[in-house]
Amino acid sequence: MSIRFENIFKAFGPKKILDGVSFEVKRGQIMFILGKSGMGKSVTLKHIIGVLEPDAGKVFVDQFEVTSLFTEENRQELPKVRQLCGMVFQHPALLDSLTNFENIAFGLRTPQYREKIGRALSEDEIKAIVHEKLALVHLTPEILELAPFEVSYGVQKRISMARTLAPGPQYLLFDEPTTGLDPLSTSSINQLIYELSRSLNVTSIIVSHDMACALSIADSILFLDQGKVLLVGTPREIVQSKIPLVTEFFEETLSLLPPDWCVPWEET
Amino acid sequence: MNLFHELGGACIFFSQVMKTYRKYSGYQEAIIAQIAEVSTRTLSTVIFAGLFVGAILVLQFDTMLRRFDAQSLLGGLNTSSTIREVGPLIISFLLAGKIGAYTTAELANMRVTEQIDAIESLGTDPIQYLIVPRFIAIILSSVVLLAIGLSVSVIGAIFIAQFSGMNFYQYIASIPRFVGGWTLFEGLVRSLIFSAIVATISTFKGFTASGGARGVGKAVTESAIYINVYIVIANFISSFILEWIHDLFFFFLHFAERIFP
Repeated sequence: MSIRFENIFKAFGPKKILDGVSFEVKRGQIMFILGKSGMGKSVTLKHIIGVLEPDAGKVFVDQFEVTSLFTEENRQELPKVRQLCGMVFQHPALLDSLTNFENIAFGLRTPQYREKIGRALSEDEIKAIVHEKLALVHLTPEILELAPFEVSYGVQKRISMARTLAPGPQYLLFDEPTTGLDPLSTSSINQLIYELSRSLNVTSIIVSHDMACALSIADSILFLDQGKVLLVGTPREIVQSKIPLVTEFFEETLSLLPPDWCVPWEET
Repeated sequence: MNLFHELGGACIFFSQVMKTYRKYSGYQEAIIAQIAEVSTRTLSTVIFAGLFVGAILVLQFDTMLRRFDAQSLLGGLNTSSTIREVGPLIISFLLAGKIGAYTTAELANMRVTEQIDAIESLGTDPIQYLIVPRFIAIILSSVVLLAIGLSVSVIGAIFIAQFSGMNFYQYIASIPRFVGGWTLFEGLVRSLIFSAIVATISTFKGFTASGGARGVGKAVTESAIYINVYIVIANFISSFILEWIHDLFFFFLHFAERIFP
């Protein structure tokens, strides 16, 4: 049970975004995808849920070969993959026309979810799930009847996480979850991702620039550069790597951290 | 070239929307909500514009017909051209600005802020959830709004004709000479075609927008331009085809009358 990329190529017009990307994330792991902007990190995530179709190569999510689901006859299987994966986008991406409650409940009302559990949930059941997920992201029910624009950006991010968690995905995909947040909220969101991944025992793939967070909570780190996989390894392997671009990225990030910061395994 | 390229994209998108519409059911609630939103937002503009369309036409026709002492034809000519041609055209331009721009901006904003991707990632078809209700609502409400706009134009024209010294009864009496079932049919067909253009292009441009706030602006501008250009082209083509069908229809009608007197 894993997510597997086999030699994925993707270009937008003449620009190559992914150039033969291969990797595997095992069930229950937390993987960080690092790299500079425009290196294909978000595009990688969108291939997992089938929002983007690669030009060549294969993507597997559990038993599904996502890349074979773009044909007319297989397309009805695509929602099943999306039921397995939950994605938290760079922006909160909450629907403006719905209340926060309706946003969180959105995935519970879809025909695909009804099909997955074999029946439609009652309003009381939906309410119970919404409240449960809200508690998981450390929010209180007062915000539920408000519109997304009536709460802060940090709260919107948490609501977006609650929405993703509501249908019970097996894989959590985070696309730069801390973008646009202050350092305090960033640290709290990172902590939340770690808690969620461990407590729900789900596989998480996190696209980020946050090297410090990656070194603290990741099981593995994938480093992308110019659409190619530069390095995949444990945090320790990344720190000890002699690849110039990785070292440069690590040192640049380190310079932004407090002087007393050290990699987690050096603390003990 | 771009015009044809966009047209091709819009046609593929249209077929995708139709396929999705046939595949799923249960749109009623969403469609009714959209119709209410579109109609309430646009009704006042259509009534206001419709009133002036009728008034402008009656003044123009009056000036010309006076020269030939043919003012008795004013009511018929004015009503016929309002229903068949000018009314649907001008009111569709207004709908393009009002409904078309709003729909494109709304969808484009949803696209660039990843709301559409989020809907898709939650296992819902965004065409089914976002596009089909808007598409159907735009077509239905546009036809109704056009009908209201045309009625107001005709009423506005009657008022202005009264002011310009025209005999009210003479004006009304000349209408049936020029306006018949075929005129209403032509007006309805044009309204449907123009509404479909507004619905297709506005949703297509919004749905395929990209590139942040700038992308939203670009999508709205292009949507407005393409809708107006396609409406003008469709107006020409529909005039040509409807004229041809009209001639053919009446040819067979006369033919039938001769055989079965």
